[in-house]
Amino acid sequence: MSDAIGTPQARLDIAAKVKGTRKYPQDFNMEGQLWAAVVWAAHPHAIVRRIDTSAAEAVPGVVRIITSKDVPVNSYGIGIPDQPVLVGEGEKVRWVGDRIAIVVAQDLRTAHRARDLVRVDYEPLPVLTDVFTAMKDGAPLVHENRPNNILHHIPIRKGNVEEGFAQADVIVEGEVATPFVEHAYMQPEAGIGYIDEEGRVTVIAAAQWPHDDLHQIARMLNLPEDQVREIVPAVGGAFGGREDMYIQHLLALCAFVMRRPIKMVWDREESITHTGKRHPFYFAYKVGAKRDGTLTAVKIRLISDAGAYASTSIPVLNNAASFAAGPYKYPHAHVDAYTVFTNNAVTMAMRGFGATQPPVMYERMMDQLAEALQMDPVEFRLKNLLGDGDITITGNAMWGGVGIKETLRQAAIAAGWRQQGDRWIKPDLGQPSAPHKKRGIGIACAYKNVGYSFGFDDKSEAEVILRLRDDGSIASATVKTAAVDVGQGVTTALAQIAAEALGVPVSRVRVALIDTADTPNAGSSSASRHTYITGNAVYGACKAALEKRERILLEETGEMTVSAKYLYRGRSRRPTTAYDPVTGQCNPHISYSYGTEIALVEVDLETGETEVLKMWAAHDAGKVVNPAMYFGQVAGGVHMGVGYGLTEEFIMENGVPRTRRFSEYFIPTVLDMPRELVSLAVEVEDPTGPFGAKGLGETPTLPTAAAIANAIHDATGVWLKRIPATSEMVWRALHGKG
Amino acid sequence: MQTLEMNVNGSDVRLEIHPDETLAEVLRDRLGLIGTKIACGEGECGACTVLIDGVAVTSCITPAMKAHGRRVTTIEGLSRDTELHVIQQAFVDSTASQCGYCTPGFIMATKALLDANPNPTREDIMHGISGNLCRCTGYYQIVDAVALAAKRLAEEGRK
Amino acid sequence: MWEEYLFANSVEHALELLARYEGRAQLIAGGTDLVLQSQRGQCPATVMVDITRIPGLNRIEERDGFILIGAQVTHAQIAASPLIRDKAPILAMACSQVGGPQTRNAGTLVGNVVNAQPAADGATALFVLDAELEVATQEGRRWEPISHVYRGVGVCTINACREMVTAVRFKPLVNACGCSYQRLARRKALTLPTLVVAVVLEMTGDTIKAARIAIGPVAPTPYRATDAEAHLVGKKAEESVFAEAGQLAAAKAKPRDSLIRGSSEYRTAMVGVLVRRALAEAAQECHRRG
Repeated sequence: MSDAIGTPQARLDIAAKVKGTRKYPQDFNMEGQLWAAVVWAAHPHAIVRRIDTSAAEAVPGVVRIITSKDVPVNSYGIGIPDQPVLVGEGEKVRWVGDRIAIVVAQDLRTAHRARDLVRVDYEPLPVLTDVFTAMKDGAPLVHENRPNNILHHIPIRKGNVEEGFAQADVIVEGEVATPFVEHAYMQPEAGIGYIDEEGRVTVIAAAQWPHDDLHQIARMLNLPEDQVREIVPAVGGAFGGREDMYIQHLLALCAFVMRRPIKMVWDREESITHTGKRHPFYFAYKVGAKRDGTLTAVKIRLISDAGAYASTSIPVLNNAASFAAGPYKYPHAHVDAYTVFTNNAVTMAMRGFGATQPPVMYERMMDQLAEALQMDPVEFRLKNLLGDGDITITGNAMWGGVGIKETLRQAAIAAGWRQQGDRWIKPDLGQPSAPHKKRGIGIACAYKNVGYSFGFDDKSEAEVILRLRDDGSIASATVKTAAVDVGQGVTTALAQIAAEALGVPVSRVRVALIDTADTPNAGSSSASRHTYITGNAVYGACKAALEKRERILLEETGEMTVSAKYLYRGRSRRPTTAYDPVTGQCNPHISYSYGTEIALVEVDLETGETEVLKMWAAHDAGKVVNPAMYFGQVAGGVHMGVGYGLTEEFIMENGVPRTRRFSEYFIPTVLDMPRELVSLAVEVEDPTGPFGAKGLGETPTLPTAAAIANAIHDATGVWLKRIPATSEMVWRALHGKG
Repeated sequence: MQTLEMNVNGSDVRLEIHPDETLAEVLRDRLGLIGTKIACGEGECGACTVLIDGVAVTSCITPAMKAHGRRVTTIEGLSRDTELHVIQQAFVDSTASQCGYCTPGFIMATKALLDANPNPTREDIMHGISGNLCRCTGYYQIVDAVALAAKRLAEEGRK
Repeated sequence: MWEEYLFANSVEHALELLARYEGRAQLIAGGTDLVLQSQRGQCPATVMVDITRIPGLNRIEERDGFILIGAQVTHAQIAASPLIRDKAPILAMACSQVGGPQTRNAGTLVGNVVNAQPAADGATALFVLDAELEVATQEGRRWEPISHVYRGVGVCTINACREMVTAVRFKPLVNACGCSYQRLARRKALTLPTLVVAVVLEMTGDTIKAARIAIGPVAPTPYRATDAEAHLVGKKAEESVFAEAGQLAAAKAKPRDSLIRGSSEYRTAMVGVLVRRALAEAAQECHRRG
């Protein structure tokens, strides 16, 4: 044992980051580079009649204007390639993130000046701005090749809900809407495209899944994948927002066309207005329970806005549907989930991937039921939360160390709840700071898959190279795997796992920089999966390398280097399956993480302002690999959840973004955070995870907004129809103004 | 083009620049000081924070000419050779950086804060870094880092 | 695109440069607004005349019965100034709320006024202080009340291509005054306000002797709630009176519906709430000081 796991270990990349020497995509420059700027669609829905580049071409310093004619295969998209790379004459723009052309110039100023001179004549079409209109028969079509705007529908049928509601003593109903959310990673899109020394089209950019980018770029350029290469330097945050390509393929296209280095740097406004968002959801729920608090049935209708293109809207919907009922036992369930095209921003992965929106609704239902039954909300939840072997709404038995009840117990006790037998008693909340303020406390539980789901083959490959000393001991180890450190610290976590598996200190482990030409496919930095999936791959590669070393030492071959590769497949331990198209029954997920958060708030009854005074966050991510990084993920997740609950909303008006900058899109500042955050690590180990680890990246964001919304209700008695709970929203609810 | 003369991290520089170039652009593009990050371009996030004569400003909206004849300190000016500045070391020890893109800005804001107020309360620290946005950390470990840096600087001062 | 960036070494020099470039030149102080306006094509000037190195414009001082603040003084300097905190605390409170520390370090109060944005914390406080601006032209200098200078959103009677505001002045508040600065915003830092209310109250015993209420940005310019002020004089300082004043003040608010900063209905209602609260807080402070 090297004590590398669960002990304080400094992040491997942090010294360079505090010195400012770590290079992000915008920090690279190459000899002879040109600069490129995108000409964006000026309408959310229109036919492009004419593109006139003559004035732009006449600007001194403009080298070339790339249009759709220059794109070998003019479509791309993660999963479903339904997005045009560049929209040509006679074709349609479907949202303001569509691109018409790319101006290549000697410098960025010239490129910016020239792009304003590209004249595009549009024939505007009706703009679909809401899913309800888009779902109607006869609505204008966003994609003409489809019969309607409904991209996907998922039914889940378990038991018989009518029977379930008949057994219920109490039935509650409710509706909630959630907003578009901007990832707001601090590093805007940037990078360089060039032809490398082996003639490969090469991109240096921030990405979450370099090998899928490779696949999409090769398809677009009609090249074999080994003729394309992506290098991922330091990434300034991602949160799902870099799972789709926004700049990578454009850089590749520029390099392909120009055969020389091309640099692109987007400003914040481009980054906010032309990239994907978290899906807004519309929820309508009906839930029943018996007098003793046992849940009997849940009926759910949920609709998400897919925006203009598919992106990962179907997988996000898959997740949302499977987590729609929350971590609770329901004998009867009926879910209809839809995702619908509009001319709004493309919606995509964002921290939680469809598991982030439902808690706001299902946790409100739990509180409404507890209130109706006059039960304490902790007590009510504990009665119904899933445990090992319990069956979910998709008919699968829970497995792998189900820690949700323990997170609730620990959070509740920390927040002051007292337990008397089966009864739980809410704490006294103390005096509000002013007579016009009221305090409230709110609980939310949530869970989320770790790894890809629904039969998707989740795999990750790692290579470990050991350099040996004369006595056969390990001088150093290099881990190669294209698991992108987007800030979450996966590089450090993998080094710790390797160190533990090899029995060496972390200082002897190096993790190679990510280059698809050199590091194997690890899958994406998403689904909270790298610690578990890639951690298992690294563990496997380490064990294989150690075995090889044994042979070498036994046979005394004198070799000083040992290398081994290992491909970990999630389905090798736990096969998942897709939804049954009629009943929705399936084995959806490989592994899970769990969390409970409790928020203490103070609401100003006159202005509607809400202040989160304190939060308790108990998360079960299995064995904690790095305690400081664990806290960082929890606190960062809570930050995003506080924004989701109170301040953040990406607003469009008729398909045109109105929150275009950081001065208009409000992520919480340090002063907006709860003054105190109590983090409790609940380590229910998953025996299939490396050293018992699960995953953590997303779960801390899931319960926050729901806990805040429930606390606002506890303080004021009102339920909000939507989040974020801006002061005006709360004020309207308090004054019956809808 | 116009001549800009300034002292950056102890070295005098003389450059010919466009009069409307921002200080961030000049530092990054002309001097290669990439530690100064541009994240919002409108003075709303603090990632580009540098000190002009010891005062923290957002260099992305500061005309470079404003630094003419002045002393500019960037993140690169804090550490001596390989040794980290006390504030940088405190950020390392507090795990106060995740993606790291906001980190140089926070460290420069901290430098200005602690120079002006060597013994800040937690509330003082929060106000001192309230001009800097971070999307990863939730700020707690950053506040811890600033407090730790203040403590260590005070100890150093007593020695 | 700027063609030149010049440093003026005196007020006269600055005015001379403005005259020489005949409308193509504009004064720049902190530049926190101007740089962005210029980048967004909202400022046609191509020659910047920087006034931050003119000697003598960095003073905060009490002279001839007035407090004078020079054109180079930043929000941060005002917020930290012992003189302002003592004799015009309302202005210190307002200036401490602008943007974040870096913006306050660069942005000047006078620049904020000349830029004439309604969502200006400092300017709202200056309205309540009945401040005057010293306007220098090549013909001479004059004092103008701040309420004359604001003409609409971003519209100011000062011609920044010809004239220069060199200082702002106001009478120090008397010792018995109570102040309150109330601010509603989408978050607690780095944001323009949805609503600000600045109140200065003078009392004799329990009776209101004088009241000043300034409100922004719920109309094209910050404004004084004169009806509410008049209503308060001679009345007993109590909740019901404050609420009436709040209603009178709200009646003069004309906020636009904003997708980002809230509906007209909400912001108008909040004028009533914040004015009432500001009056109550200011009255309490009067008692404490009294």
